[in-house]
Amino acid sequence: MPTIKIFTKQECPRCPQAKQLGTEIMQDGCSVLSYDVETVDGLAEATFFSVQATPTIIVEDADENVVADFRGQVPTREELLQIINAK
Amino acid sequence: MGSVIDLQARQKSEETSNETTDMALDVRTSGEDLTGWDRSKIVDALMRETGLDQRISDEISIEVEEVIKQAKIKCITAPLIRELVDSKLIERGLEETRKKHTRLGVPIYDVDQLILHPNKENANVPHGPEATNLTLAEGIKKEYALLRVFSPEIGDAHMRGDIHLHDLGFIDRPYCSGQSLEYIKKFGLSLPNSLSIAKPAKQPEVLLAHMVKMAAALQSHFAGAIGWDAVNLFFAPYLEGRSDKEVRQLAQMMIYEFSQQAVARGGQAIFTDINLYWEVPKHFENVPAIGPGGKFTGRTYGDYEKEAQRFVWFLFDIYKEGDGTGRPFFFPKPLVHITEKFFKTEGHQEFLEHICDIASEKGTTYFVFDRGDTAKISECCRLSFKLNDNDLNDAKEPWRMRFCALQNCTVNLPRLAYKNTDDEEAMFSSLTDLIELAAKAHLEKKDFIEQLLALGENGPLALLTMKTDGQPYIRMHRASYLIGMVGLNEMVKACTGQELNESKRALKFGLKVISHMNLECQRLSEKHGMHFVLEQTPAESTSYRFARLDLRDFGEQARKYVRGTIHSGEIYYTNSTCLPVSSNENPIERVQSEGLFHPIIEAGSLTHIWLGESKPSKESLANFVIKTFRETLNDQIAFSPEFTNCLQCGRTVRGMLDACPHCGSQEVDGITRITGYFTKVSSWNKGKIAELKERNKNQGFFARTQTGSV
Repeated sequence: MPTIKIFTKQECPRCPQAKQLGTEIMQDGCSVLSYDVETVDGLAEATFFSVQATPTIIVEDADENVVADFRGQVPTREELLQIINAK
Repeated sequence: MGSVIDLQARQKSEETSNETTDMALDVRTSGEDLTGWDRSKIVDALMRETGLDQRISDEISIEVEEVIKQAKIKCITAPLIRELVDSKLIERGLEETRKKHTRLGVPIYDVDQLILHPNKENANVPHGPEATNLTLAEGIKKEYALLRVFSPEIGDAHMRGDIHLHDLGFIDRPYCSGQSLEYIKKFGLSLPNSLSIAKPAKQPEVLLAHMVKMAAALQSHFAGAIGWDAVNLFFAPYLEGRSDKEVRQLAQMMIYEFSQQAVARGGQAIFTDINLYWEVPKHFENVPAIGPGGKFTGRTYGDYEKEAQRFVWFLFDIYKEGDGTGRPFFFPKPLVHITEKFFKTEGHQEFLEHICDIASEKGTTYFVFDRGDTAKISECCRLSFKLNDNDLNDAKEPWRMRFCALQNCTVNLPRLAYKNTDDEEAMFSSLTDLIELAAKAHLEKKDFIEQLLALGENGPLALLTMKTDGQPYIRMHRASYLIGMVGLNEMVKACTGQELNESKRALKFGLKVISHMNLECQRLSEKHGMHFVLEQTPAESTSYRFARLDLRDFGEQARKYVRGTIHSGEIYYTNSTCLPVSSNENPIERVQSEGLFHPIIEAGSLTHIWLGESKPSKESLANFVIKTFRETLNDQIAFSPEFTNCLQCGRTVRGMLDACPHCGSQEVDGITRITGYFTKVSSWNKGKIAELKERNKNQGFFARTQTGSV
């Protein structure tokens, strides 16, 4: 089962949209981890994935390989689910 | 300040008792003369320097006189009298008074050692009378800094090795600086206390002469590197109409002038960085160009691309030749900025292969990556000043672009792990405390420098206060305050059981530590209105010092993690956030992994790629550089080959050899890159020697294509 990692910060116009998407796909049974890049753990994880813009959404497979990423943009729920279901 | 006793020149105060024993005793004073014994001078010094009352001062002077009388000596030095007085202050529990009365100096044994043996704290300090002067002065100023500039809390943390305050011997100067040639192009060379004033240069050779003299003047006012921005571009308006031969000659003059300056402060070469561009950087494109005589040429720098390219090409031609014996030039360090615009500029591939040719042949080239809209000026071993909106606004009048880092304070990371075994929360809390301590050290240094600057044109930093363009030369409100780190790898190993390169978990733990440091810097910057930033500490001596102190004070734990050979004393910690030098991942993996840290280390990072004897093709290195730019977030890379220089026949050959392959002499010296610059291995400290022995030289990755004479 893939894991969705969502990176956001406080002052970021499109981050609420990314958070909302995270909430929705979590209700679909997906594993979602949210990171605030202004916290230590969030910044560390963001740095590991070379996150340079928020929001960023990264999809990891069960072996922690990145299978898709959306940097500085938010995909539609359908787009994201399609990627998740393909794994 | 009254920190050095002068018994001869001081007037006895009226209040002081004038009774003194008539002893047949000569006193050797610090005024270089012999004078008779006069007890009242002790009283005078105590009252004047420490504020001690007359009664106690009198009593102490009588006790000291008695000690001297009992000793039945014929001659005594003023420093010894002072020590005797200090011992009496200690006996009376007057520790604060003793501190005010204490004396700074050097044991004669140490002076013997300094005069006879080279200083190995900084491989850029040769051995000679000037270097001895520098080391002696540094020794006293270090003591002064720890006693008078910093609070006991900071001084003790440094002495213990919790933190390291860099360049304490240069306590009365800022740390490093970034300069613009435009300043001397526009205003000429008019320095406080100089015997003559030069108007703006009309010829490129004169501009170069001004640049060298300004660099020397700045070296006397900063502890570390002097970096120059966009050197080839700013020279360009002076080069029109000059033949290729003349421009090549100018390039040669520039490199030799800076590489042969080992006659200046302390016999040190001026640690010079020249920032170079193939393209005209976006922020200078539309800026009016300054030409001969300091006059605007009526064109913008965007119009000088071809001249700037001609000059930078010739500079690298000279770097390729090396010095008179084929050795690589140690200075000026050429830092080539690789940007998006670089790849859109005609001729970039040929230029990239040209500088990669030199990188392979001599290792001289540094590749600085400015991705997206990033622009910066780089210098020192890896320090960089990223240009913010204010700086980019200043770029319209580039002579205003003067940057400085006021101080560098490094945190000993492995020790935090030793002190907080199995308690991650406590360890991060201790890390916060240390960063706050580092910030306090910066505040104290800032206060001290501001006191000196306040003395203006009559003060010791007059040059930094001159207001030729309306602002003081040093722009304190734009200063950076560096916080560095040493031994992340060993800290991570102590906490996770694995080195940074051994697992994703270990790497992520390392990133968490640096993220914590980064966010603490942001918090403290907001709190104090100062710019605290992380920098990868070069740690030429700090990684050795921390390892030694930890082995002494945390032996059981440190023994498991310090690198090198404990029994020979050749030990060290891995520099900053680097992966262990011995790890066997290939250079691409190293550039990627180390590069993950670089975006959160705002004030500069560098990945070394050790080449050993390998001499990769220019095409393969160019490909490597492009991949690094496109596929990683690495800030800066440098390729480091090794050389052997024969002290007998003078030839230089590739590789680190025990004997000269030409004449068989074993009198040879190695040459390769230390923390961020080339130098002779014989000048390295034990810690760096240990590191050199363990470096993975990537022999399997870069095909060995050629060895022998360079």
